[in-house]
Parts: sequence; structure tokens; C-alpha cells
Amino acid sequence: MVGTSAEGARRACRESKVLAVGAGGIGCELLKTLVLSGFEDITLIDMDTIEISNLNRQFLFRKKHVGQSKAEMAREAALKIAPNAKINAFHGNVKGEKFDVDFFKSFDVVLNGLDNLDARRHVNRMTLAAGVPLVESGTAGYNGQVTVHRKGETECFECQPKPVPKQYPVCTIRNTPDKPIHCIVWSKDLLFPGLFGEPTQASQENGAGEENGAGGEEKDLEISTRQPGQSARDYGATVLGEVYHDAIARLASLEDMWKERDPPKPLDSSLITAGLGKVAKASSAGGPRGAAGESASHVLGLTNSHAVWTVEESVAVFVLTIEILLEHHAAKIGMLGFDKDFDLSVDFVAAASNLRSFCYGIPQQSKFDVKGLAGNIIHAIATTNAIISGLIVLEAQKVLLKQFSDVMTTFVQHNPTRGRLLQRIPPQKPNPKCYVCSKAMVRLEIDVKKMTLGQLVDEVLCKSLAFKHPTVLVGPTMHFESGNDLEDDEVLHYGKQRKKILADLPGGPIAHNALVQVEDYSQDMSVEILVQHKVFEDEGSAEFFAVHGEVKGREEGEEGGGDEEGGDSDDDDLCVVVAEGEGAKRNDAEEGEGERESKKQKTLM
Amino acid sequence: MTGLAKEDAKSKRYDRQIRIWGRDGQRRLETARVCLLGADADGAEAMKNLVLGGVASYTIVDGDEVKPWDLADNFLLDKESLGKSKAECVSRLLQEFSEEVSGKFINERPDQLIASEPGFFKDFTLVLVHGRIGHEVLVSLEKTCRSHGVKLIFGRSYGLFGMVRISAEEHDVIESKPENALLDLRVNRPWKELAEYAGKFDMESLDDMTYKHVPFVVLLLKAAELWKQGHQGALPADRQQQREFKQFVRGLQRSKGEGFVDEGDNFKEAVDNAHYLWGGSSIPSELLEYFGSSSCTPTVDSSDFWIVMAAVKAFVDNGDGALPLPGSIPDMTATTDLYLDLKRLYERKADSDVARVEANVKEILVSLALDKNRISTEYIRLFCKNTSHLKVIKYPTIEEERQSITGSKSTYLKSLLLSEDTAENAFVYILMHACDKFEEINTQQPGIFDSELEADKERLKGIVNSIMSEAGLPTIPLSEEYIHEVCRMGSGGIHSVEAVVGGILAQEAIKLITNQFVPLKGTLVYNAIRGTTLNLGM
Repeated sequence: MVGTSAEGARRACRESKVLAVGAGGIGCELLKTLVLSGFEDITLIDMDTIEISNLNRQFLFRKKHVGQSKAEMAREAALKIAPNAKINAFHGNVKGEKFDVDFFKSFDVVLNGLDNLDARRHVNRMTLAAGVPLVESGTAGYNGQVTVHRKGETECFECQPKPVPKQYPVCTIRNTPDKPIHCIVWSKDLLFPGLFGEPTQASQENGAGEENGAGGEEKDLEISTRQPGQSARDYGATVLGEVYHDAIARLASLEDMWKERDPPKPLDSSLITAGLGKVAKASSAGGPRGAAGESASHVLGLTNSHAVWTVEESVAVFVLTIEILLEHHAAKIGMLGFDKDFDLSVDFVAAASNLRSFCYGIPQQSKFDVKGLAGNIIHAIATTNAIISGLIVLEAQKVLLKQFSDVMTTFVQHNPTRGRLLQRIPPQKPNPKCYVCSKAMVRLEIDVKKMTLGQLVDEVLCKSLAFKHPTVLVGPTMHFESGNDLEDDEVLHYGKQRKKILADLPGGPIAHNALVQVEDYSQDMSVEILVQHKVFEDEGSAEFFAVHGEVKGREEGEEGGGDEEGGDSDDDDLCVVVAEGEGAKRNDAEEGEGERESKKQKTLM
Repeated sequence: MTGLAKEDAKSKRYDRQIRIWGRDGQRRLETARVCLLGADADGAEAMKNLVLGGVASYTIVDGDEVKPWDLADNFLLDKESLGKSKAECVSRLLQEFSEEVSGKFINERPDQLIASEPGFFKDFTLVLVHGRIGHEVLVSLEKTCRSHGVKLIFGRSYGLFGMVRISAEEHDVIESKPENALLDLRVNRPWKELAEYAGKFDMESLDDMTYKHVPFVVLLLKAAELWKQGHQGALPADRQQQREFKQFVRGLQRSKGEGFVDEGDNFKEAVDNAHYLWGGSSIPSELLEYFGSSSCTPTVDSSDFWIVMAAVKAFVDNGDGALPLPGSIPDMTATTDLYLDLKRLYERKADSDVARVEANVKEILVSLALDKNRISTEYIRLFCKNTSHLKVIKYPTIEEERQSITGSKSTYLKSLLLSEDTAENAFVYILMHACDKFEEINTQQPGIFDSELEADKERLKGIVNSIMSEAGLPTIPLSEEYIHEVCRMGSGGIHSVEAVVGGILAQEAIKLITNQFVPLKGTLVYNAIRGTTLNLGM
């Protein structure tokens, strides 16, 4: 901004149209900084509602706003600061249909304060398609970063592979856990949805592996349904017995499985009785139960979330949570999923995972720790968000004033004395191997004789490559289309197509060395994928495909894989996908070394 | 709400930050009393972050009324506030961020309050100043804060530049939470029970399953013993030997005939963690410095921190020269039973070390005729767990720092100006001092009136030049441009810069209050033109 008149900068702010995506931790700070910096035309999108745990940093919200739309409340609060500003608020998903390329084209700059990788990748594609500069940001605890992306001039958000969430081998989760996290994943992704919701994608996909009859594996959880007239508590006790006594005993009897480790021990009936006694006592004491919002741990007086429950206490929480859910949340049964802000689900996963850990001789965890692991909770504080919001606006101003040579990528570091509090590097050039902004070819290794078209679309194209409405073509043959404008008969047809094995697709099978064209009009994306057949040996592995950024390279292969054997603990070097607030993943390992090559800089989210 | 329900509500609200600084850190925040001098936009910006974090109370000192121009940049104030006490309005609006916080205000000018009632500040945990404050006022505030052991943090921006600075006699950190710190596993100098435990494993006779689950700590201890037999009792000394040692560990694996080795995860871990044999258990030089300092000879006035430090020193002097064992072990491949055995072994040693340090603490307290139960076991345990990472920071006074620019220490600044990396921000630092001087002379900031912009630039340049020539400092090419920047902004703050400075200020305040992480050691310069910071006086 050197050399620009103050008036010039002010005018640039006043006359620009900006889109702020996300009204959470960064979003609140950003909105305030924008209006105070003189921006007068701001559009805000956020799909979330306000939670209690937002209030330690999302300062535009008050306790009384819990449950309301973040975008709308943020708008109201910002208008109090700047009554003359024009602020449009959308309570909705940025991936929604109305936010199409034309919508994005109407802005001078887009500012991201998002918390999940999927939405960030989508916005990246939309801004590339619309040719609008994007200022990206992320924070985790004391760390944060701001990057600027311009089509063709700088790398895009997806030029560098982003770490993917840690995956665990299916058999470890189902049969042979040896860490608390294994039991937590099992409770959250298998048991909880199995009891109260539709099984998640993850569990379906895990289930798919079983048809191949991997020797000695335990079958799906066998849980009886509630009998007519059976009390909710009694049913809870039945489930407990089936899961922690019967199923464990059955598993322990499979001798082949326990040659290299100790078999689990079924939960002792005396512990179950003791736990049920606690439930009876708490309810006969006429505790405050009844309110639908109350959690089992509360009713039982277990309010210290940092304490590790005894086994009896876990039994009691487990049974009582089932009872409360069935009695007070009956309408939601069948569609519940784990939600870190839904205390009953946190209670349940804490109790269920600790009971499982107990059976397997794994140390048990406090509810606080279980919640952190189960919810992939990212540390978040007001101060880092305040710093980041200031930096976003400074970068946005440079972009608006077309001072592109001054634009920078900035990292906020955890420990200012070790190097510099702010570490900045010039933006990188676009990566020619990037399939998003450089249209590079993608090489995909899959088992074409096992994978269905549906799996290809859901797991590879949508989940791993972040497409929204992919169309799949081989030569002139259209194998798959999606989107909202399909006719009913088309939906029916493609529904059938989804079930077919890739190598068996009529017209142009997706077999070894097939060249697949994938297009997505909603994102203005088009990618060529070279398919290579590969048999994934390890049945227990969580991976069943590998995506490589380009055709010839050998050294690529970070995405979708997660090579556990990766030699000299490169893991420490991999950061952390992390987002302000909710939704993203990962353990962290920032290194904070002074001058690192940009490629080594880690992306926070 | 009942006490427990209140606790529960708090732990939900502060969940995301408790994950950074733990319950102890949160508790310290929740008992912190913070005083904010000046209720301008930037002060409110910093204070907001602390109220959100959950401090117990704040007191805002400001003698001004709310003026129309305040509304433009202070996000807390609205039309209704016009003409009212600024301290009162900001206090009332900050209160909205939390039901728990107790907000007070003093409708008086800070400089008057400091002069008339220096004792006012004695009960605060921290005094925060963000924004313009006269040099003389700051110096006397610092004096009274230091005399009461109250920490002071201040920051301000000068257009596109900003600074943050901490002042305190001494700040002691037990939980500095370094990144990627090495654990202390003692494999290079095992205590008796650990050596005996490793000795019990007869590798030859183990069945395959147990063989693959012998913890890597035991493998390393065994390998080290064997290695020493072939190396005159010495551990690997240089890189070459270290590489050989790793190969040596690999070679110890059981062969399944024909040279086929079914490599176990535990052996891989032993190779990956071989560095514990040549690092991780020595006493850091910083700590030796603390041991040698005069504070480590306790007196009746010594803080708990230094009494425990002296007790740890006695532990080292009277023991085998090692620090108290922290007692944590990493996750590793092992059967559950073996892992728990090992974990207990380490915990028992850590407990007994804590007990010995505690005995030393009591002895010291008794010898000083102090209450021998003054320091809790929990405190001593925390201290012992963190002895390798303790930090003691002493801050120079504002006057001392000023003198260091022109005085004998100017060589430091000179070296910063001569290094390409740091030259610009070192100049910004001088420029900010020059601005302060300008304000002292002219009782207003440079560039406040457009009509005097050019004249102010010349005046400021004159001050900069006299500072630099007095100290014999080299000029840098960009200096004219930077002087222009400062003047052209006048008193108009740039909100994005204030947000960054306010964020840094509050962040460092939180580090001071929670007593965790290492706060800034000197003055931080922020340069929004370049997007860089420089920490001077590290």
C-alpha cells in the first residue's frame, strides 16, 4: 500500500463487492474488520447455527443467540457497527445451487473463513471458474495462515495436496483395537449409527469388504431390536449385554485371531449390575431428568468432564443415554449421527468407547478427551482469529488495488521468540501438475474388477477429488450423470449404473488403462483420469484406491494413500488439516522453523 | 445455577481453548484481573479478546467522553454513547461478551490516576495499554507496576506499523510447551530398576509373539549393553557410530533361517528412537544458568518457583547428576501388560524423584522459618515434569531499552540494520521511537493536520537522523518512504493493523496470565507494508 493515497485505499474498500464465506471464528472477526475498514458491500454465507462453544471467540454472538443462523446474526451485529453498510446474509451451504459461477463472478474478491476442506476446495474451483481472486485463511490454536490465489498467476488452493483424515484398518476397528482412538471410531461410526441412525458411508464401505470372507472376521454387530412393551432402560441393558458380553465372548473364542495378542475379556456381569444400580439410584432419587436436553452424565452427577469414569459409571451412562434417547428423542431415532455439540451423543461415545477399551485392556479416557478425538476438534481462540482477520483485509486491499507484487502468503506462528511471529513468503506459481487449475491428468489406481461405478463416484470423485455433480464419460459413452436437472428416468438409469462393476460397464468399460473424462458443470471442472488396475492386497486396509497427481511421476501419491511405511517418520512433517472451529481433521505437528521452503510450509485450515 | 452446573457450562463455552492451555490455564484466566488504560478502539479490541477468553474482571480507565469520530472506528460504540463517559460505555458493552466477567470503569485520565493513586494498580494481574500514551506516563506506570509485581503489556500502531512490548521484573514459565520436545527416557543412563527390568528379558527364550512385543525401550537398553561390550564401555559417539548402531540394532533381530528376518514393529521403533541414546537426558544450558543465578539461593522473599528450583538443584547435586524424571513414555509396540509394566516403572521413578524434591523443598522452607507446607505437591510435580523446559524471562525497563538504542548496546541495533533480513524493521523500531519523541516535543502525533504534513515529515526526519547519528547507525534506502507512511496516516488508525496488533497484544497477555508458552522476550515490531515482524532484544 506504499505510495497509494489513503483516499485511494478507502475508495477501493468502499466501492468493492466482497464475498465472505464463513461467519464463524474467522468470519466474525473478519466482518468487523471489513466494516471498520470501510467496506460497504459485503455478502456473507454460512450454513451453521450458533453453538455455546462458539462464544469464546465468535464475539458477534451472545448466549441468547444459540441455535440461530450465524450469517444472519453476524449481519445484524455488523449493521450495529456500520449502519450504512449493505450486508447480504445467506444461511446456507456455499455448495448450494444458487451460488453458481455467475454468483461468484459478481464479486471483486472472495474471502474464505471456512472450517472444512470440502467447502474450501469447492470455493477454490468456483473462484477459478469465475476468475475472481480468493483470499484463503485458516487457524488452529496459536497458528494460522492467509494465502492469496489468482487464476493463472498463483497456485490455487489445491495445487499442493492436502493431508487427508487418518484412516484406520477396518479389522483393527472391528476386531483388534489397541488404542483408545480405535474404540472411539468404532463407537462413533459403527455402534452409534447402528443403534440410532442410518449406517454412515464409512460403515457401509467397511461392510463392503466383508463379502470377500476374510477369514475369521466378526460379522456385523448383532443387536436385537426393542421388543414390544420392553422398557427403554431394559432395552439399553440388553444392548449392553449383547455388545460387551456376548459379542466380545464370541470374538474371543476365535482362536486364530489371538495368536499374536491377548483376546478381549467380556464385560463382567457384576460390573453391569453395579452400573444398572447407579441408574436406578439416580432416577429414584428423582433427579432432574425429563428435560429432553439433559444428558445421562448430568443425571448421574458426572459433571466433571475431565475425570475418567469408572467402568460402572460408563455402564450407567451407556444405558441411561439409550433410555433418554429412546424416550425423549424418539422422533430422531433412525437419523442420528455423532455430533460433538449434541451432548447425548458425546456421552454415548465416551461410555461406549471406554467400555470397549476396558474389554481390550486399553486405557480409558475422560469425556473431554473422547470428545476431542471423536469430534476432530480444533483448538480455537479469539486472538489468532483477530490477527488473521487483519491480515486477510490487508491482503484483500492489495488485491483490490491491483498491487499484486505486494501480495503475500503469511503464516502466523505459535512461538514468536523462536523465529518470527509472522512468516511470509511470496505466492507460489501454479503447479503444472495440478488437476484443478492446470487441468493435469490424474492417474488413479483402483481394482476395476471390484469397484462399482457408485463407489467410483462417491468415494473417489466426490469425496477424494471434491467434485459436486460429476459426469463420467469414456470416449463417447456417458456412464454417469448427476445434478438437479436430470429427468426421472435418467435418475433411475444412473441408479442402476451405479451398482455395476467398472470393468463390466457396457459400451466402454473402465478397465486397465482406460481414459475417463470427468466433467462437472457446476464447478466448471473437467479432468482426464487414467485408470490403472491394481489389486489391493490387504483386506484389512482402509485404502482401496490411490490417486496420483500426474501420470509419470513416481514421487507423488500423497493423497488418498497415507503410506504408513513411509520411512523416516515423515509423519511428523505432515501437518494437520485444521480449521478454525469445526469439521476438519488431524493431529498437529507444526514445526515453526524459521526459513523453510514454501513447499514445506504446511497448510492450516 | 449450582456450582457444578456452572463448571459444566464454562467447560462447554471454553472447550476449544481449554484444549490449548488446559484447565489450569483456564483457571488462571478465570482469576485474572486486568486493567485497561484508555478505552479507544485499539484498547477495546485487545480487551475484547481477553473478556472472550474468560478473565475474571476488567477495569477500564479513561477520562474522555465519546466523540463522533470514536463511532467510526470503535466497534463497541454506537450513537447512544455520544457524549457519555467512554470508559463507562466501553465497559458496559464489553460486559455483553460474558455473563461471568465483572466489569468496572474509572472515569479519569490514566496519567492523572497514575500520579494521584499509584497504589491503584497493585491488585491487578496485568495492566494493558493499547494506543497512544505519553512516554513519561508509561515510565511512571511501569515503575508502579513493577513495584507491585504487576505485569504490564502495551502496544500501539503508527499507521502501517505497530509494536507490542512486555514489561515485568521477571516472568517464570513452568509449562513452556515446546514443540517437538524430546522425552526423557533415560536409556543412556538407566536407573537401577530400569536396568534390572531390561535385564529380566531373555531374548533367546522368548516365543515369537512376545519377541515382537518387547518394548523398544528394552531393546535399546539391551542393544546399548551389547554395543558397549565391543566399544570399551562407550555409547555411540559420532554420526558414523550412530549409523552403525542403528544397523547393529537391526542385526540383532531373530532370523528365521536363510537370512530371512520377519521384521518386528518394535525393532523398527528401536531404530527410529535410537537417538534417545545420545540425546534427551542432559541438563539444558539454560537451566544450568538458572541454577547458577543468585535467585537460586533462596531467601525468605523467594517465590515458590525459585524455592523449587533450588530444591531441584539440590536434587541434581546430591543425586547422580540427572534431573527429576518426567515419567512419560511414548506410545509403542508392546503387549498391554508389558506396556503397563514399563509405564508404572517410569511413574514410580518420577514419583520418588518428586518426593525427594519435595523433601528438599520442605528443608529449605524450614531453614528459612517458613511454613513447610507452603508449596503444594501438585506444583512440585508439575515443576519436576518440566525441568528441561523452564523459562525465566527478565525484561528491561522502558528507560533501559531506550538507552540501549543510543547507548553502548547500539551495536545490536547496528547489526540488525546491516542485515538485509532485519534492516527495514529495525528502522521501523527507530522510527517509532522517533514518533514518541516527536509527540513529546510537539504534544501531538506527526501528520495530524494535512496542512502540516510536509513540515512534520521534515521534523520527524530530523529526529530520526539525530537518533541515528548519535548512535552511529547506518541509514537504509527505504527510510524516506517509511517516514512518509507514518506521517500520512496521522492519527487515523488503520483498522486491519489495529486488529493484528490487538490480537498479538491479547495473545501475549494470555500467555502471561496462563503462565504457559513463552511470551515475547523483547519488543515486537509489526510491519504491515511487508507483512513481517521482528522481535528485538531476543
